[in-house]
Amino acid sequence: MTRIAVTGLGAISALGATLEDNWQAALAGRGGIARCVMGDSPYGPGGLELPMARVAEGYDALLDERMGKPTAGALDPFAKFALAPAAEALDQAGLRGHPVLEERTAVIFGHGLGGLATLEVGYERFFGLKSPRLHPSTVPKVMVSAGVSAAAMAFEIKGPVFAVSSACASSAHAVAQGAAMIAMGQVDCALVGGSEAISTAGCVRAWDAIRAMSPATCRPFSADRDGMVLGEGGAVMMLEAWDHATARGATILGELVGWGMSSDAFHITQPSPEGQARAVRQAVTMAKAQGRDDILVSAHGTGTPLNDAAETQSIVEVFGEAGRKLPVIATKSAHGHLIGGSAVLQAAIGLRALKEGLAPPIQNFNERDPACDLDLVLGEARPVQSRLLLQNAFAFGGLNVALMFAAA
Amino acid sequence: MAQIPSDDELFDVISKEALIDRATLSREANLEDLGIASLDVISVLFEVEERFGILVEAEELTDCKTLGQLMDKVKAKAESAAA
Repeated sequence: MTRIAVTGLGAISALGATLEDNWQAALAGRGGIARCVMGDSPYGPGGLELPMARVAEGYDALLDERMGKPTAGALDPFAKFALAPAAEALDQAGLRGHPVLEERTAVIFGHGLGGLATLEVGYERFFGLKSPRLHPSTVPKVMVSAGVSAAAMAFEIKGPVFAVSSACASSAHAVAQGAAMIAMGQVDCALVGGSEAISTAGCVRAWDAIRAMSPATCRPFSADRDGMVLGEGGAVMMLEAWDHATARGATILGELVGWGMSSDAFHITQPSPEGQARAVRQAVTMAKAQGRDDILVSAHGTGTPLNDAAETQSIVEVFGEAGRKLPVIATKSAHGHLIGGSAVLQAAIGLRALKEGLAPPIQNFNERDPACDLDLVLGEARPVQSRLLLQNAFAFGGLNVALMFAAA
Repeated sequence: MAQIPSDDELFDVISKEALIDRATLSREANLEDLGIASLDVISVLFEVEERFGILVEAEELTDCKTLGQLMDKVKAKAESAAA
């Protein structure tokens, strides 16, 4: 099968506006979660205070500067959070203006939802102000494909361009889809990733209604974990056919060696270890990684009581008792849960961890839980010898993806 | 209540809604050369209504070739509304 290189990475989150910022924060055990008051509109029921991991203000000017022209004003935050890391990944890959963009490059981003900030402003006018006129850009900003279209237009990428959606696994499905297109020879390059910007007044209330949100912070695998924390941002990686990358002398940051996908067909919010294990096993089998002890596990690790216990079971189901000895990181404790953007952000941080031989610590951890008896990286960054990265992404609705990367 | 916007205020709205560098805008600039598409025009008109209370329909601007002509139409609408 065609080997697939990673030649570019980009990220933005509460930890910073570049992957380097995100990596340095995660490595140092610095978190981006802070208490916020959401929803101070006169048409709402009043503010809700809760922990969130939001992208720092002043971001529009930064994006306009990066793109070299006014750009941010036409986009919902979710699309901006895809476009900026796309630019970073493309620049790192050295592919800006490259002929491969003309036909043989795909853009596939995953998002759980679309432009909710724009939609809520529109609804506020409609239901609150009783105005019959909404902004003419509402539809082009809200549509879930706004991010991929923005990237295609900004970088003149003219191959297959579309968005995918599978809640918290969206960007992982984008990676799998891009990889498949390269593997079957349809394209040479695929700009893949995802983003999310759902920290809007109305949406946060909807999340609060599920009772999956922590009132305190995100503590993956800790006995006192009590829910997830929403994060904002996105991450993008450039996948490239190995021969294409080496022929042009690209710097290879890692290799995608396996991916697996499964559906629990079970419950809309409750996870199933069996379904998760099927995705992980597929990825491990494709990567021929059975029996390897040099795997760094970047857990889905949301910090909900159910997820982390189920994920522990699925890891042990695939790797046996040896799975308990694999080092496990859970960076949602730093950048929150970016829903559609999470998997690629976590994989990008994980790839840096492989390169540096340092695993970033799980933050906010208090107490071991017998139901999560894994080799958790706690306290401070730990030197690791791992050569493979397993990235888990398990979504609401039982949609599971596992990605396996090898160090460059 | 309609307000009569200044040229500077209209340039600000056009720059923001049509994503055009403010420094490149002038009364003489040709709409086609600026790359102002129909969605940009209706976005500008939306903001004009929001900020100045002037309701202008896109169909009223079909004869406009330059930014100056477009701005004069908007101002004339504001003046007749204020009168």
